[in-house]
Amino acid sequence: MDAGREGVTVTPDGQQGPLGGGHVLLTGATGFLGQAVLERLLRDWPDTRVSLLIRGRGSSTGADRLAGLLRKPVFAELRKAMGNDAFAEAVRQRVNVVDARLGSSDVVLPDDLTVVIHGASTVSFDEPIDEAFNTNVRGVKDLYEAVRAAGSAPHVVHVSTAYVAGARKGTVPETSLDHDADWRTELASAQRSREQVEQDSRRPAALRRALETARAEHGKSGPQSVAQAAERSRAEWVDKQLVDYGRLRAQSLGWPDVYTLTKALGERVAEEELTGVLPLSVVRPAIVESALRHPYPGWIDGFKMADPLIIAYGRGILPEFPGLPDGVLDVIPVDIVVNAILAAADTPPPVDAPAYYHVGSGARNPLTFRAMHENIREYFTDHPMPDGGRGQIKVPVWDFPGARRVERLLRNGERALSVAQRALLVAPANSRTRRWQDDLKREQDRLDFLRKYAELYGVYTEAEVIYTDNRLLALHRSLPPERQDEFGFDPAIIDWPHYLQKVHCPTITATMRRATSGRRSGAHALPAVTESTDGQLVAVFDLEGTIVASNVIETYLWARLADLPRGDWAAELVDLARRMPRYLSAERRDRAEFLRRFVRRYAGANEAALARLVQERIGDALLRRARPEAIRQIRKHRAAGHRTVLITGTVDVLVQPLSVLFDEVVASRLHTRDGVYSGFLEAPPLTGEARAAWLRRYAGTAGVDLTRSYAYGDSYSDRPLLEAVGHPVAVNPDPQLYRHAKSRQWPVAQWTAHTLPAGDAMVETLA
Amino acid sequence: MSRPGFVLEVDERTPALLMHEGEGFRLEKLPLGSRVVYPPESLPGLRDLDAHIREALLHPLGCEPLPELLHAGMRLTIVFDDLSIPLPQMKTPDIRQRIIEQVLEMAAAAGVDDVELIAGNALHRRMTPAELKRTVGERVFRSFFPHHLRNHDAEDRANLTEIGTTKHGEVVEINKRAATSDLIVYVNVTLTAMSGGPKSVSVGLASYRSLKHHHNVHTLRHSRSFNDPPNSAMHHSYNRMAGVLDEHVKIFQIETSVNNDTFPTQLGFLNKREWEWTLKDQAAYLAVKRANDLTPIKQRRQIWHRTAAPYGITSVTAGAPGPVHEVTMGHVLRQQLTEVNGPSDIGIWGLPYICPYNVNSIMNPILMMSLGLGYFFNLYRGQPLVRPGGVAIYYHPVRNEFHPVHHPSYIDFYEEVLAETTDPVAIETKYEEQFATDPWYIHLYRNSYAYHGVHPLYMWYWGAHALEHLGQVIVVGGDRRTSERMGFRAASTLGDALEMAKEKVGGSPTITYQHTPPLSMADVR
Repeated sequence: MDAGREGVTVTPDGQQGPLGGGHVLLTGATGFLGQAVLERLLRDWPDTRVSLLIRGRGSSTGADRLAGLLRKPVFAELRKAMGNDAFAEAVRQRVNVVDARLGSSDVVLPDDLTVVIHGASTVSFDEPIDEAFNTNVRGVKDLYEAVRAAGSAPHVVHVSTAYVAGARKGTVPETSLDHDADWRTELASAQRSREQVEQDSRRPAALRRALETARAEHGKSGPQSVAQAAERSRAEWVDKQLVDYGRLRAQSLGWPDVYTLTKALGERVAEEELTGVLPLSVVRPAIVESALRHPYPGWIDGFKMADPLIIAYGRGILPEFPGLPDGVLDVIPVDIVVNAILAAADTPPPVDAPAYYHVGSGARNPLTFRAMHENIREYFTDHPMPDGGRGQIKVPVWDFPGARRVERLLRNGERALSVAQRALLVAPANSRTRRWQDDLKREQDRLDFLRKYAELYGVYTEAEVIYTDNRLLALHRSLPPERQDEFGFDPAIIDWPHYLQKVHCPTITATMRRATSGRRSGAHALPAVTESTDGQLVAVFDLEGTIVASNVIETYLWARLADLPRGDWAAELVDLARRMPRYLSAERRDRAEFLRRFVRRYAGANEAALARLVQERIGDALLRRARPEAIRQIRKHRAAGHRTVLITGTVDVLVQPLSVLFDEVVASRLHTRDGVYSGFLEAPPLTGEARAAWLRRYAGTAGVDLTRSYAYGDSYSDRPLLEAVGHPVAVNPDPQLYRHAKSRQWPVAQWTAHTLPAGDAMVETLA
Repeated sequence: MSRPGFVLEVDERTPALLMHEGEGFRLEKLPLGSRVVYPPESLPGLRDLDAHIREALLHPLGCEPLPELLHAGMRLTIVFDDLSIPLPQMKTPDIRQRIIEQVLEMAAAAGVDDVELIAGNALHRRMTPAELKRTVGERVFRSFFPHHLRNHDAEDRANLTEIGTTKHGEVVEINKRAATSDLIVYVNVTLTAMSGGPKSVSVGLASYRSLKHHHNVHTLRHSRSFNDPPNSAMHHSYNRMAGVLDEHVKIFQIETSVNNDTFPTQLGFLNKREWEWTLKDQAAYLAVKRANDLTPIKQRRQIWHRTAAPYGITSVTAGAPGPVHEVTMGHVLRQQLTEVNGPSDIGIWGLPYICPYNVNSIMNPILMMSLGLGYFFNLYRGQPLVRPGGVAIYYHPVRNEFHPVHHPSYIDFYEEVLAETTDPVAIETKYEEQFATDPWYIHLYRNSYAYHGVHPLYMWYWGAHALEHLGQVIVVGGDRRTSERMGFRAASTLGDALEMAKEKVGGSPTITYQHTPPLSMADVR
């Protein structure tokens, strides 16, 4: 006899329902609601066995996922009450995993089921249409077919949502849905849509557009990056199209989004499959949020629907919202929903008359949007969020200006932002533009967030609909009075100010409070330089913009002007200026092309004379323009036993002064004829993807472990090189690389201190 | 007749006093009763300098006249002080040029062919060709550069020679060419009481191996002050090394001293005592101050570094290093020494734009420390101007600026070492070897124009005595973060600084302002 069984009544209502001593098949046990149902069953129905339909995912099997599931906080109290060993033993005896994919013929369900609780569904509002239909419509059909095939006659509890009623006003009764959408037609069409969209996305016109955009943005990084970006944007386009397919089809049928549409059709499937065959109860919860009391006050698994809004509000980034002040936000704590599901499960209706229950607070204990806002505002006023060591965030007061004005606000903001972002991408790279970029990125995130939630949740926050719950109340009242307190589900018991301010908000802000303290200082630290003497690690540095602030043109000018009599400087500078637009446009297209063009200027120069000039005068110019932080970092890598490699498009003789810092220098070599430069390169210059390819080959021959190696670059054309190693660092990045680095969470170094400005270095060099 | 130095006591009639602060200056009203130490007025310079030089070379002290030491077939090496002295640089022709030209004439007359000129720059950065030319003059430069006019290279193992070891176990290792010459002629400018004499060859031509015996925290803490050789452990070490050198090499020392004409006539007010400023001086002050404040910092720095001092030469003495240096010291002290009656609670110094290691360069925070707590704090004889546990107040902007070519190891020292500790002993123990032997710093010292890797640590040691002696260091006008990194506190005004100093010295401290430059040395009784 295990400890958990002692002192627990067999059934809450004293009668012999299908739950007590029965066998429950539970789907969606890893979800928020599913976890809570499983916990309740394990704790309070000690003679009930549970089969969980859990599919293996990746390398972990269904059983692995169960083990992970049982470690979740929801079971913490139970574990503590029973003791670890007793808990494990109870699970071993009572819980069984069915690891199978619904819809496949090899699903074999146990033949002694008394209850099926179908809680699995996708809850995302903006799923691509085919995926939403697969889970919420076909999944229902496959499951119930399998249940019927299994041979027993269980009571099926179908967990749906109150919002299946669709976009409407007024009261919605607890009955079968009234619509004539045909789920078979919709399912078939949804399943075909991906193929169509995939086809569309491969049309030459579409691909050309994708390629053009990718080339403009990623051309500097090389053809592979362009191809990847184009393919990525195609895949994103497909997803977006399918999301649009879903939302618009739902709206054209009278539902706000694909989630509610598919859940509504899922109910229809259940009715068609089961009416007259098996007893069916449909439970429709509203917005399920953290637990009021059980397993402990405030228990929640991840963020639910309203939570991102609450958090965003607490962080001060939700200045307004398109809700109606008198609209009802139908929130219901998860433990009330669980109690309702289990009570319903234990009360099977006749097989030809399915039962319907709304589980929400809107009818009997409505929470208006205004009251919600007031409570949350009060909470954040008493317990403000920390502002990254800079005091605390003050929350705004909402004015409820209505959806149209919020929409206009949003649209204007988005337009201004898009213009500013495009402008910044062509701006010069310095710490100020990077700060602007950061600001814009934050603003963008804020607007994206608002846009997303305004669109998705608009219907829910503007809802002027009441879901009646008379049948649910009757079910509640049918519980013996002494059990109503523990197992009841009357939403009237919720004290909103208490629930919101003392239970819900503290829970959902706890992790954010930990995460946000110390934010803002945000700059990612440089990766640690780990000691390694086996020669397996390499640190690769780009030269221009990374180690030195100068560029190819500046270096050329030092060499050229130092060699020319002052009288001829003007002519040289004028010629350079005249050609500059051509150089710049070549650079923008392709760095290799620019280098090829530019080194023509060296034609006719004497090799030995240039080498001498570098040693006597130009060497120090390079050091004047060097970044001490970069040199220090190179030296750190050397001290740690790493091989240091310099990859640059600059002519080799000009980088001579820095070569002692590197084990390997890969620079452009100029072709010479009789000691005189011809103006051509010996080999194609290493730029963009060629650098990454070179590095991979080098790593292969030298036995270098690139995943533990380091690379430093400043330009978007260094992206392939940076992506080739495990520790990339963007140094004073140009706007494109900066954006990329931020999205990949690469460290960004700002190395600017103690480098002489170009003019000063030029003057000191030529003086 | 120049008036001697004196100590002014600030009363109601005392005007605001001039205070240097980096590439600028200000007038500051000091609290009543503060003492101000002024150096003696500038002494007259020698007239007909070339004749004096000739006279010195022909009638040296303690050895034969120079012509008698020169003969055909000999190896002659002329060593001269590098650009770290005098400060600011003197107007051309430099006194070193004048002396070297005469020495070379005599050598030519004696038929000496094998002549080399070496700048005694020790671990300082190499002098650029332009700087060498400015020091030795166009004629000498053209005849000897680049093969026979060079910088000393303290890391050129092939060109260093160990001469011997002192009885204290100090290794004497100097430039091989000089060590193997029949005669070293050393051409010196003695700007402060610490330089010249035994220091010239033993330091100027030495290597790290040799320098570390006296350039260390222990020695510097026991040099009180290093401008007072009899009480300077550092000079005791120099003397021992000079003794070893004496046995092996023949040195003909030529020393000179300069007067206090530190600033050119257009900046004449900087050389004068404030209450004697004429209307013209006051107008000049206002105009220069305004123009200077309006000039961007970089240009301001360039202008100051281009401003050469119209120094008068107060002595030229030649002969054996010992007797020669004694004479020179007399001249230096005559120009700089002022008697002061006992130390005070607070010492004040205005730090100018230049120190020995940022000629044509940037005065970085480490150099500010070494100028303030090293050079200026040690401008005393007897006892420090500040009582033990007292407070030093400096005026300097202490910008976080470094010259990337001249001071690369300084940047790393500031970023990596000072971020961890400012304790000289801890720094010496943990970091000296690393900085001294770092191959990249050595590469830059030899091939570029960088100070040696260990040099920033030496600069920090330079202030070790002051750090130990003082209770607090406050920098008026200093960058807050940079000052803090070095263990100092920044104040925006003198009033704030005195307020901060209260914790250490109470509400009515005694204050002494050492008015310099022009250089003054306090003889604190």
